[in-house]
Amino acid sequence: MAGAVLRRKRYIWREWLTSYLFLLPALAFFLLFVAFPMLKGIYISFFDYTLRDFDFVGLDNFNVLLHDDVFAKSMWNTMLIVLVAVPAVVLFSIFAAMTIYKKSEMQRSFFRGVFYLPAVSSVVSITVVWASIYHPNYGILNYITSLFGAEPIGWLGDTRTALLAIILVLITTSVGQPIILYVASLGNIPTSYIEAAQIDRASAGQIFRKIIWPMLMPTNLYIIVITTINTFQVFAIIQLLTSGGPMYATSTVMYGVYEQAFMLGSFGLASAMGVVLAVVIGIISVIQFKYLGSDVEY
Amino acid sequence: MAARKRRIASFIAISLMTMVMAACSSNNGGTKDNAGEPGNAAGSNKAANSANAAGEANKEPEPEQAKPVEITWWNFPTYQPVDGEVGKYEKQLIEAFNAKYPDVKVNLEMITFDGGPQKLNVAIATNSAPDVIYDAPGRIIDWAKKDLLAPLDDMVTGEVRGDIADAFWKQSMVGGKTYMYPINTAPFMMAVNKTVFEKIGALDLLPLDRPDRTWTFDEYKKALQAVKDKAPDVIPSGFYAKSQAGDQGTRAYLANLGVSRFLNEDNSAVAINSDNAAAALDWLAQASKEKIVVNGAASLAAGDVNDLFLQGKLAFSINYSAVLRAQNAPLKKAEFEDVLLPFPTLDGSKPKLEPYLGGMAIFNNDDEAKVAASKKLIDFIANDPEWGKKSLIQTGGLSVRNSITGLYDDPEYAYSELARQFITDPPTIADGYAEIRTFWFPELQRAILGQASGKEALDGFAAKANDAIAKAKASAAK
Repeated sequence: MAGAVLRRKRYIWREWLTSYLFLLPALAFFLLFVAFPMLKGIYISFFDYTLRDFDFVGLDNFNVLLHDDVFAKSMWNTMLIVLVAVPAVVLFSIFAAMTIYKKSEMQRSFFRGVFYLPAVSSVVSITVVWASIYHPNYGILNYITSLFGAEPIGWLGDTRTALLAIILVLITTSVGQPIILYVASLGNIPTSYIEAAQIDRASAGQIFRKIIWPMLMPTNLYIIVITTINTFQVFAIIQLLTSGGPMYATSTVMYGVYEQAFMLGSFGLASAMGVVLAVVIGIISVIQFKYLGSDVEY
Repeated sequence: MAARKRRIASFIAISLMTMVMAACSSNNGGTKDNAGEPGNAAGSNKAANSANAAGEANKEPEPEQAKPVEITWWNFPTYQPVDGEVGKYEKQLIEAFNAKYPDVKVNLEMITFDGGPQKLNVAIATNSAPDVIYDAPGRIIDWAKKDLLAPLDDMVTGEVRGDIADAFWKQSMVGGKTYMYPINTAPFMMAVNKTVFEKIGALDLLPLDRPDRTWTFDEYKKALQAVKDKAPDVIPSGFYAKSQAGDQGTRAYLANLGVSRFLNEDNSAVAINSDNAAAALDWLAQASKEKIVVNGAASLAAGDVNDLFLQGKLAFSINYSAVLRAQNAPLKKAEFEDVLLPFPTLDGSKPKLEPYLGGMAIFNNDDEAKVAASKKLIDFIANDPEWGKKSLIQTGGLSVRNSITGLYDDPEYAYSELARQFITDPPTIADGYAEIRTFWFPELQRAILGQASGKEALDGFAAKANDAIAKAKASAAK
């Protein structure tokens, strides 16, 4: 009896050890390249860390941010981008996926490829194309508007249009993955549910609201959380298209981090910005999990 | 059987983990090497004396000193590409250097003007700065103020000291010590597409018949109007305010139009918020609306405007020099003659031109042997009888040495030599300069977009910049 218990314990121990040993390579990478830099970033945020100094300053960096108008503007811009871009990406992706998933396999593959292309293309290349579209003197957008008698607009150089122009670029580069995922999820919804609803004469809107949308909730959660996080961290498009201008109209927290750290060499202040952004993303992610979490399995 | 499977599984897992750890540890090792840890090959040469090495830079290396030293040289594309390959000239230069100094191994890394400054900041902050850098005073003097560089006074001979203008030394020194070895220069100016003026029959509106080509704001306005009236496909003048790149063009343009300095004489406060400069900025905002100055300047970078000029779509570019002219020659997308001009001034007084100044510096990586070897490299690049002149020409610039002239058989270079008389001290060596320049273009945008008058924008800039200067001075005094 005692021998059997011992064998059982050894078995459990070996199972435990084996599973953790398999987990260890990924865990090691995570700890080294994600957790450690993250903790180090939090640590640095309490220091005046410049090219010359590394002095402990407590919460001074956060206090500076609290009174910094440019940081406040950047945070506001970041929130605005998230508030506009995330719903737009989700809605457009669902719309595109609903249109695509009923088509033949060949057509589905074609459209998936078309929408996914920006996701696998270099952000720099995409941005160069958009810069030429938005060019104030020779851009195609101004050419089109001029056909209707409009005066040329500096899309990226006008405080009224710059942020919207950035959001549009962001949306086009963000919809690829959500469309692929939604097409896959829509394909997994049992057709019998929809057929039953159709027999009961449910309208297309009712079918979407009562069957499709709830069944998409797990995918929605993933897409909303990931898109929100990615949108909070938008940087390359802004750096390449506007450098945060005009007059900080497109400056975001991530651009501020870049500017403070890599252009001004204020790594402590930049880390503090990163910490604030991480906290905001964390809070919003928790809220999203709480209200969008679903037990639906299919 | 199950136990055997588990053993195999455990073995695979341990192997994977070992590989991961090995890969990570070799990464870390690489970083430490870059950081110039003592104890490596270079570190063992710590006893070498940098001063001696510099003094003997022109002598053949002595056998007892010939211990191998490895140094890293990060270079912006200072030299024009050879056969279209960036960095090829540098490799030839290192090969020639090694023929003379076989004991010094030079690791070259080319960096770009776009990402290079950021890469340098990260490298410095993580103790992995290169040993040698060829750059401009803006960054070099900032590093010197932060005690990151090795002084170079011991390698500046009396002859060299006396052959270079004080204005250049002022930009190469901090606290009486030399931290940048100045090599090449060229005054930043404007350029005009002369072909456009020939086509519209308005060549007489340009000051090209005057030996020093100086001209007034009013003359400039007439030239712009002529382009607008007679060449509707050509934008009369360029301007840009998207980002920091090329900001010397925008500040020199406004400073000359408004006959103002950018900062005061001792770089302790902003001086460009004068009434004249504010009026010039108001004119600029209005000219942008009237399509005399390029539309959308708030979203255009210096490079965008330069592209328009090279495409023949712009009559005046406000950021040009003999060096840029040489670099731009193969990039032209249209056939036209580009001619250098000084910035016009409100009252016809002599213009004040900021110089491009290029020079080399050495990061103090706590390794005397590396510092000594780096000095040999700098001395070779600047003063070698064959490669010194060759390298200078490869930059497309003029020599900082008064005694070295006539390097090029080109009238624009001849004019550039003449225009050296207009060179003024730039604000790049001011305390807090890196932060000052971040306030410049948002205020220009504010004025161009009509959200502030020229005076309000320049005063707004002055308030923030003066605060940054005061903070930087206080920090330096710590």
